[in-house]
Amino acid sequence: MNEACYLGIDVGSISTNCVIIALDGEVLFEIYRRGEGSPISSVQQCLALLSEQMPERLSIKGVCTTGSGRILAGAVVGADVIKNEISAHARAALHLYPDARTIFEIGGQDSKVTILRDGAVVDFAMNLVCAAGTGSFLDSQARRMNITIEDLSSRAMLSKNPTNIAGRCTVFAESDMIHKQQVGHEQKDIMMGLCNALVRNYLSNVCNGKEIKPPVVFQGGVSANRGICRAFREALQCDIIIPPYNMVMGAYGAALIAAQSSIEETKFRGIEVAARSIATRGFECGDCPNCCEIIEVIDDDEVIGRTGGRCGKWEGKTGPREALRGNGPAGAVSAASADCETCGQVDHVPDLIQMGVHKK
Amino acid sequence: MTYMAIPNIGNYTIALATAVESLGIKAWASTATTPEALKLGISAAPESVCLPMKAHLGHFIEADRAGVEYAFMVNSVGTCRLRYYRHMIGRILKDMGLKIKIFGLGFDGFKPPIVRYFDPGPLTFLKPIFHTALKIKVIDELEVAAWRTRPVELTQGDTTRVMNRLLVELSESGTMASTRAIRKKAARCFDEIPIDRDKQPLRVGLVGEISFLRDKCLNKNIEYILGSQGIELRNFFLLGEELNNISRIVLLNQNRRKYLSRIADRYLQCTVGGHALDSVAHSIRCADEGYDGMVHLCPSGCMPEVSVRPILKRVSKDKNIPILEMSYDEHTCGVGIATRLEAFADVLRERRKKQVNK
Repeated sequence: MNEACYLGIDVGSISTNCVIIALDGEVLFEIYRRGEGSPISSVQQCLALLSEQMPERLSIKGVCTTGSGRILAGAVVGADVIKNEISAHARAALHLYPDARTIFEIGGQDSKVTILRDGAVVDFAMNLVCAAGTGSFLDSQARRMNITIEDLSSRAMLSKNPTNIAGRCTVFAESDMIHKQQVGHEQKDIMMGLCNALVRNYLSNVCNGKEIKPPVVFQGGVSANRGICRAFREALQCDIIIPPYNMVMGAYGAALIAAQSSIEETKFRGIEVAARSIATRGFECGDCPNCCEIIEVIDDDEVIGRTGGRCGKWEGKTGPREALRGNGPAGAVSAASADCETCGQVDHVPDLIQMGVHKK
Repeated sequence: MTYMAIPNIGNYTIALATAVESLGIKAWASTATTPEALKLGISAAPESVCLPMKAHLGHFIEADRAGVEYAFMVNSVGTCRLRYYRHMIGRILKDMGLKIKIFGLGFDGFKPPIVRYFDPGPLTFLKPIFHTALKIKVIDELEVAAWRTRPVELTQGDTTRVMNRLLVELSESGTMASTRAIRKKAARCFDEIPIDRDKQPLRVGLVGEISFLRDKCLNKNIEYILGSQGIELRNFFLLGEELNNISRIVLLNQNRRKYLSRIADRYLQCTVGGHALDSVAHSIRCADEGYDGMVHLCPSGCMPEVSVRPILKRVSKDKNIPILEMSYDEHTCGVGIATRLEAFADVLRERRKKQVNK
């Protein structure tokens, strides 16, 4: 009666996505939701939407979170696996297209290229310190022209004579666009030019030095933009595959990872998490001069997870604060290491040693 | 008591502090740049200089606020911008109206100016120097033992805890006898950490800019992140080795650059400054020795390391070794860095699996 299913949650910079799959990898439900800057409430709203749709016979046997908010989301829902988004996206693409050799993934703040050979990831690259060439670039330009991002996509497709726009940096692109607009270029041409600029930036920055071979799978939020797909087709002179669940591939991959990681008993805190009042509280560790800002995730006065530490003594721990403080990095001391006089000591061990400071 | 601020070069700062004592003064230092110092440095430095310079500057500003009168700065003989940084930092501090006086390491006649200024006696001078050399050797050993143990430890965090504990003791050790005792104890302590003996960890080489290789604050604790992913590291900056090279140049006229450029010959014939040639040569050597991958740490704005980036891409392709480019800037949050490193570890594991199945 109880049918097993697996939940994948992708908490990205712009959107929060959930996917529920059956054991064989078939997608049962998908939710794409643009977040408004609060990952916890986004996850809760996603779960609330799911609980409305989900029939009672399904029971969630495993949860995996991914995306830049994966650790926080993992603490909120009680994830069994927490996986980076690069691996999650690759898993999903390989599940749908086992012969894929390149994955383009452009999201809100990150853009990645993953190189696959013979069904395994062999190389990947991610944008470095600059966010040009990502969804936020398009978003900010669309906002400046006072149109929606969907409009930008459909208008760009109409262009027959795209104009050339500098794509190295969002700031340069903006001033370039204004110049083009002031000398009278058509809006649709400017938009297609913008798509071309983003693709040019992506290919020269992120894909620099990588061998791009078809079949190319294009996923992530930006893959819904047909102007970008067109620009990729024109630049690479090959067909670009847009997978059916292109917007939620990260969550799909996460769900696949959960399904395949042979979880015996899930740590999932139940879909009712959506209705709980979950908050965060920050404090400064202060055990050493690193002064890490530790974030506690609290569910009705009960600490369900911590993030933000550098040395590992706070990460994911739920014990009382005073018991963890000063315990050095990670975990309790194992019995074997307690025999050694030095390793056994769990007193104040700073991650950073200062000399001469206290004497002043 | 007179205090002198010394730059942070990771755990080796402990040894450098002992060296400063040879001048009859005390050191003011920390083993990693504090976030507060970084904040001060970033606001005082020109925007386009590299992050190590900002870290140094911030450290000296923090020192001045704490009432430290003197500072010491390494001026590299390489062609990297670091060699001008002593003057630049000196001027910036002066413009800010700070009183701290900065010494370099250059020779002026027979004695370096720093020695002439403090003028310690010959006997008080020698002993701390030997002690420093010993401490550097011990820290080298600690580092190497930590890279080996961390990926195979059974309880996560054991190695780091032992390591930190020993470093604290080392920083408090005032005599050569106690340092020798710590050295013996260190070997025993690392042996006693329970490990998984059957595990074959992935091997990864760490190359790049030296401040980033060493400073835990700047590189967001990369050794810990990679180590707990089950990766055995080899960090290509060990101060002991560097000093051995210098003595080899002075005594035997054996320049390591020649040796390195022989390895890197097909890709790079000359030093481009800093440790860029090392990055290329070590990547090639690691590929030949069968390492699973390389991580290249490169602060944005570091001239030498940015120059060799395309070369490393070529090496990666020719030698079939994945090289992860890490570009660092003033991040305050390590999430993006952890994402890349985790994904890299996944890639390496899959490659390993494929090689075994072949």
